[in-house]
Amino acid sequence: MDLIESYKEELRLVRKFWTGFWIILLLFALILLPWYGKEHWVYILTLIFIFSIGVQGQNLLIGYTGQISFGQAGFLALGAFTFGHLVRMGAPVLISLLCAGLVAALFGLLVGFPSLRLKGPYLAIATLGFGIAVYQVFVNSEILSGGRMGLTVQKLPALFGLSQVNTYYYFNLLLATLFTLVSYNLISSFLGRAFIAIRDNDISAEAMGVNLTIYKLLAFAISSFYTGIQGGLYALLLGYLEPNMFTFLETISLFVAVIVGGLASVEGSILGAAFVILVPQVFSNAKHLVPVVFGVAIILILIFEPLGLSGRWLKIRLYLRMWPFR
Amino acid sequence: MKMKAGLIGTLSIVLLLGLVFSAQAASVAGVTDTEVVIGMSTPLSGPAALWGVTAQGAKAWADYVNDKGGVNGRKIKVILKDDGYNPARAMANLTEMKGQVFAVCALLGTAIANASKDFFAENKIPLITVYADVRIWANYPKDKLKYIFVSYPDYENEAEFLATYAVKNVGAKKVALFYQNDDYGKMAMEGVKIGLSKLPGKPELAGAVPYEVTERALATHAQKLRETGADTVLLYPTMTHGALILKEMAKIGYRPKVVACFTLGDPIMYGLAGADVWEGVYPAAPANSGIPGDPAADRIIEIMKKYDPGIAGKEYLALFGAVSMMHLVKGLENAGKDLTPESLVKGMEMIKNWKPEGIGAPVTYAPDRHHGVNGSRMMKAEKGMHVPVSDYTIYKPLF
Repeated sequence: MDLIESYKEELRLVRKFWTGFWIILLLFALILLPWYGKEHWVYILTLIFIFSIGVQGQNLLIGYTGQISFGQAGFLALGAFTFGHLVRMGAPVLISLLCAGLVAALFGLLVGFPSLRLKGPYLAIATLGFGIAVYQVFVNSEILSGGRMGLTVQKLPALFGLSQVNTYYYFNLLLATLFTLVSYNLISSFLGRAFIAIRDNDISAEAMGVNLTIYKLLAFAISSFYTGIQGGLYALLLGYLEPNMFTFLETISLFVAVIVGGLASVEGSILGAAFVILVPQVFSNAKHLVPVVFGVAIILILIFEPLGLSGRWLKIRLYLRMWPFR
Repeated sequence: MKMKAGLIGTLSIVLLLGLVFSAQAASVAGVTDTEVVIGMSTPLSGPAALWGVTAQGAKAWADYVNDKGGVNGRKIKVILKDDGYNPARAMANLTEMKGQVFAVCALLGTAIANASKDFFAENKIPLITVYADVRIWANYPKDKLKYIFVSYPDYENEAEFLATYAVKNVGAKKVALFYQNDDYGKMAMEGVKIGLSKLPGKPELAGAVPYEVTERALATHAQKLRETGADTVLLYPTMTHGALILKEMAKIGYRPKVVACFTLGDPIMYGLAGADVWEGVYPAAPANSGIPGDPAADRIIEIMKKYDPGIAGKEYLALFGAVSMMHLVKGLENAGKDLTPESLVKGMEMIKNWKPEGIGAPVTYAPDRHHGVNGSRMMKAEKGMHVPVSDYTIYKPLF
């Protein structure tokens, strides 16, 4: 949209004063939300924060690197159960969370290997197989899944005189902000550009010196790390885990969030996460029509806004900037 | 241009501040002199959408009670929300209801019950009846259990009952189990083993064949069951899988005696499996609800259908919900005019040897007993109906 005059300027996250102003205003509104918003909204936003981390990770893989994956539920489960078991063994929350991400990333690397030779629908099937395999292993292994009663995970205590809901809210707001910053930095670094190059044309990317093996594997590992963290945070929020919480439906909602939010867009990932959480919740009074409303909303967005919610967002921004001229 | 953006910014800050501090009122949430608000979160969409009929049944019964004048002069207002069988969404629904509802009724799903169990004591919102693995509460701290009332059979006890009945009354010598490959199915396996080990001569479990909930082709499962050589097969599947396996078994000419868990207690199984296959099967019925065909249950079904014709065809599950609402109504009646969470808890604990509208086995709650009734009875599929063939076997309440 604007003329960028130097490389340094391009790397800057916030280029305009008013962009910074709006972001700070938004952050303030979010920080103050527990004071003016209903507790219910605080909870829903907490869910959106958690979900947005995973969606960002998947967008790095699907949107930026162009690798289709349907194994998200598997990574979520790995993250969640790693976190659950570690916390039960008495490990600190943050360490357990890091391990949840790392274990998911490790499996991401393993799943990434087929991606070196597989493309498009073939890769989709391979990753889908992984997601289902993880689910099956958890269902059939009582040691891993906590058996018939599932796994009860110690919840966060209420900290700093806040209520428990608010503690969760700030904890997840902090992490979501952190991961959003990491995502922005990642995509403007050499790593992100290598991902985009692979997506646009892997052969020319290789000719330009991008090592396909390393970067494709990295894309899988990093995106799985994000999804693992999402799983850990989900476990922490609900305080309870069982394998049936990580079926193919979870994969679908993450995938829908990426597509509806907008491929290759960090803002889009957050909007997409908000979409998949908010639509069923806002329409939860519509009873059995919820899936219909959800499906129709997805179709409408894809028809009228092929770039997803982030495309609409860009257009609104452009319109406001140009106003009253068109 | 900067001016304009600045103006928008200032305006939004003013708007934001305007939103701050919304007024809170009402001494007891969800209760006025004329109304009591009850929350329900249930799967109306997603993999377990069929079971959401329980909430429809509960709502229909509440409407009927309202038409008869309500409870202690108060009408019951039901807030019904879909959770898609997803614990995160159920929790979101519950937090939204907080402050609006007086009590929650007919929660469904083990994961949902587990994720939300602390919510009720923390917010002093009574939870009247849950359809979930009751062992969640067996070791739950007594002070937190105060607000939770359950009358649902324990899966393991039910499986024990099935195995015992099969050997003692159906004449089973060699038993095989067909079960869903998850925690529910494995609990059934435990129960069956316990049941068999207690019997004289210790009849053997000839084999156990699991299936995945996503599977639809069950021909090999039928073969495996036949290979066990069992003369009686115990079924622990969903309704769909129960119908499918019986059809496959019939196809290969394997017709053992069949004893099924209460998820197959609905006479609708005749339609799903076909009359030739379903006739003669022994399905169980839980002690907390009734069976279509029983006069007391049929009366309730007629009433429910008047208020919600959508219940037709799903009467068995709707009855569960109606009975749950009866538990709540009874508690509200006992609590009297002065309605608080504490008085409802007391009102529920006053329920003794009570059969809701003549349905099921007697229910008793007490300060040290929040598991109202834990039992099963056996039925037999005869001429399109499920006819009771045994009295209720009541197991010890677990909490």
